[in-house]
Amino acid sequence: MDRKTPNKSTTRLTRRGLIKATTLGGAGALFAPALVGRALAQDDFPSRTMQILIPTGEGGGVDRSARAFNAGWGEILGTGFEYGYFPGAAGQVGYETFIGRREPDAYNLLYGAIGPEMIMYATQNPSYTFPDDYVYFGGVNADDVVIWVAEDSPFQTLEDLIEEGQSRRVNFSGSRLPHPASIAVFLLAEETGADFNVIPYGGGNPARSAALTGEVDACCTHMGSSLSVADQVRFLTVFQDENRVPGLTNDALPVNEIMGTDFPELGGLRAFAIHTAAIEQYPDRVALLKETMLENFESGRYDADTLDQGLTPEFNVFVDQEACTRSAMEMVELANRFEHLLRDG
Amino acid sequence: MSLELLIDIFLGAASYWWLILIATTLGIIIGAIPGFGAQNTIIMLLPFTLAVQVDMALTFMVALYVASHMGSGIPAILLNIPGTGGAAATTIDGYPMAKKGMAQQALVLTFVASTLGGFFTAFIAIFAIGYLARIAFFLHSVEMVVIMLFGITLIAVIAAKDPLKGLISGIIGLLIGAIGADHIYSAPRATFGFLELYEGMPIIPALIGLFAISEALVMLEKRSMLTAEGRERMLRAGWRETLEGIQMALKRWTHILWTSLIGLVVGAVPGAGASIGSFVAYQQSRLYSKTPEAYGTGHPEGVLAPEAANNGVASGSLIPLLVLAVPGGTTAAVMLVVLSYHGVPLGPRLFVEDPGLAYGVFATMVLSYLIMMVTILPMSKYLSRVTLVGTTILAPIIIGFTLVGAFSPRAYIFDMGVALTFGVLGYLMRKTGYHVVAMLIGIILGPLLEANFMRALRLSGGDSMVFFSSTIGNVLWLMLLASILLPLYSSWRRNRA
Repeated sequence: MDRKTPNKSTTRLTRRGLIKATTLGGAGALFAPALVGRALAQDDFPSRTMQILIPTGEGGGVDRSARAFNAGWGEILGTGFEYGYFPGAAGQVGYETFIGRREPDAYNLLYGAIGPEMIMYATQNPSYTFPDDYVYFGGVNADDVVIWVAEDSPFQTLEDLIEEGQSRRVNFSGSRLPHPASIAVFLLAEETGADFNVIPYGGGNPARSAALTGEVDACCTHMGSSLSVADQVRFLTVFQDENRVPGLTNDALPVNEIMGTDFPELGGLRAFAIHTAAIEQYPDRVALLKETMLENFESGRYDADTLDQGLTPEFNVFVDQEACTRSAMEMVELANRFEHLLRDG
Repeated sequence: MSLELLIDIFLGAASYWWLILIATTLGIIIGAIPGFGAQNTIIMLLPFTLAVQVDMALTFMVALYVASHMGSGIPAILLNIPGTGGAAATTIDGYPMAKKGMAQQALVLTFVASTLGGFFTAFIAIFAIGYLARIAFFLHSVEMVVIMLFGITLIAVIAAKDPLKGLISGIIGLLIGAIGADHIYSAPRATFGFLELYEGMPIIPALIGLFAISEALVMLEKRSMLTAEGRERMLRAGWRETLEGIQMALKRWTHILWTSLIGLVVGAVPGAGASIGSFVAYQQSRLYSKTPEAYGTGHPEGVLAPEAANNGVASGSLIPLLVLAVPGGTTAAVMLVVLSYHGVPLGPRLFVEDPGLAYGVFATMVLSYLIMMVTILPMSKYLSRVTLVGTTILAPIIIGFTLVGAFSPRAYIFDMGVALTFGVLGYLMRKTGYHVVAMLIGIILGPLLEANFMRALRLSGGDSMVFFSSTIGNVLWLMLLASILLPLYSSWRRNRA
């Protein structure tokens, strides 16, 4: 098997690249007004439709989330959005297409989930490099990792599950092994010495089904997609500093509050990405995108459009470029740390 | 459920008869074009389903979904091209019937089996949905491994006349099915660097190549796809053939019912799907037949079984969506998006808060089948005339249409290349006596078998005895053993006599 050398992903996160990713973002924000003024005067950006590449399927959570945000954003920018879907290889097909075949002109953007897709980056050896080839310049929606059990499960609390795992193997269903939810389980197991085993079911729906029908003891997955089965399950914990929807998740407490640990926040922050070359060549355009993105977020329109898409506005967050980059790097580090569990051999 | 509620539900569904008519017509057309499944169509029509009232959206989606299952059997019979994997088993006996000039009868068999099977299973679902939903609680990875093996033993059946070539085809199919990310670690295998193969060999392009393109290439060698006798029969065909088909189907009504039940049970297991249901039903149909040797030569029961099961799966696959809020297949997953958008509380709450909507799904199915019975049956006379069209006209149309169909599900040019490659492979296989159906069984069922097999092993920590750890699983093993040994025993007795 084509194995990547240990920490290759970490070495690919070069100091130069990191500085470039964060300082370009910082500089963009600092000089935004001036740059925007110049952009409007000289460039007339955007003068045509924006192209959004989605590295997952049409009609899925990422697609709907993008459409919810872009409804208002497009009006502020004065242009429309056109979507292209390139699912496959845990997002790698979409990213390779974006980096390799899309013009770095700030009209081409990618909208994806940082958590799962950075794990893909760390474990699948793609041909591109983060952040030298692309950066996430703004996150607008989060989907946190949760652990839940079926309603009739004997496990009432996370502690019950851990205690059981200390006496026998406890099986969790998950969508894929290289996923933030699997890392959440590995962190718990490492911390408590419990024998936790993640079974990949190849998708969120089969994973939920396995836990509901009793094939496994619990499910580790994203919260957003689990809300559809909320009345049949008991949420045990959320891997976030705060439970964004306590009323919908039987007031499940954050894992660090239950365990007294310092686990990182885990989930799938959905963010817009752009070619790093576009940031260098068209800083004015990128500054305009960032400014209008924030304007849309603060206008309140986004929450209404999110509801219209049948999604949960509580998951709407605004995360700037630096924080997105930090989140992406943390995920790569975690993926490298648990590489022996995420990859074969 | 009270009789009053039942009547209300049916009356509510019936008020959308016009929408059901439109949706079923569209569904039959898209089902008949390989690559254009219900899932893609519902996604394309999301602006419509999201804009209208939820009961209207649901009626439209359900009617379109069941009709697409029926439509997929049409090209399987007329052109040896299954519209979806669920109709692949229909080609085994459907196409030989068409070549003999009995396309009209074969189409009628398909329509009657689909409508009767679908009607019957949808009705059962209304009254037994709670019990049917429990099936998913008993059929887990271990049991699914055995169920897949029922389907895979079909390779041996198909290979009966030339075991070596049949088994070679099946094994190559299984190997092709193993291409892509492994089911545990997502490590790519045999993708040759093609990202497009990471998720495995795309089924639709492979199916289009193996069946449609290779068939078109074979067709071009003759002026007509029909035998001389078949052509004569087709030229003489009139309404009598439709009646003959109805008679052939109704004479075997019990066969339709029990094979549709296989589909219903398989469909109720999330993720199982129509391909498994129809292959298993075909295998079981042949096993219990008094004339197993007639299968593969244009035997009516070989058409009825997979088609009834295919539509039984349609009824079953919506059960996990409604009862557990877990979609049983890709089309149901898109329906979940639409229903979530409309704020419909799926799962047990739905049956308490809005039983009309929950049971209305199956009432819509029942009405869809009734409407289709009236609209599609007379069409068999005209549809069957396709077999009279000259191959020089038919073959280029097939190649053109199906190549677009190969592109359609994922919108990758690469998939058109896959279809062409499998087309050439399929052509060479046909010319040298290898079995394309055996290969397709391997390609479709191989990855599903492997996923369940690996999952069961991981659940047990690598203990292979896990496959014999459940009572239901062990009963299924015994049934599988019997289904392999019984035909051998019968054949031994026949030879001895």
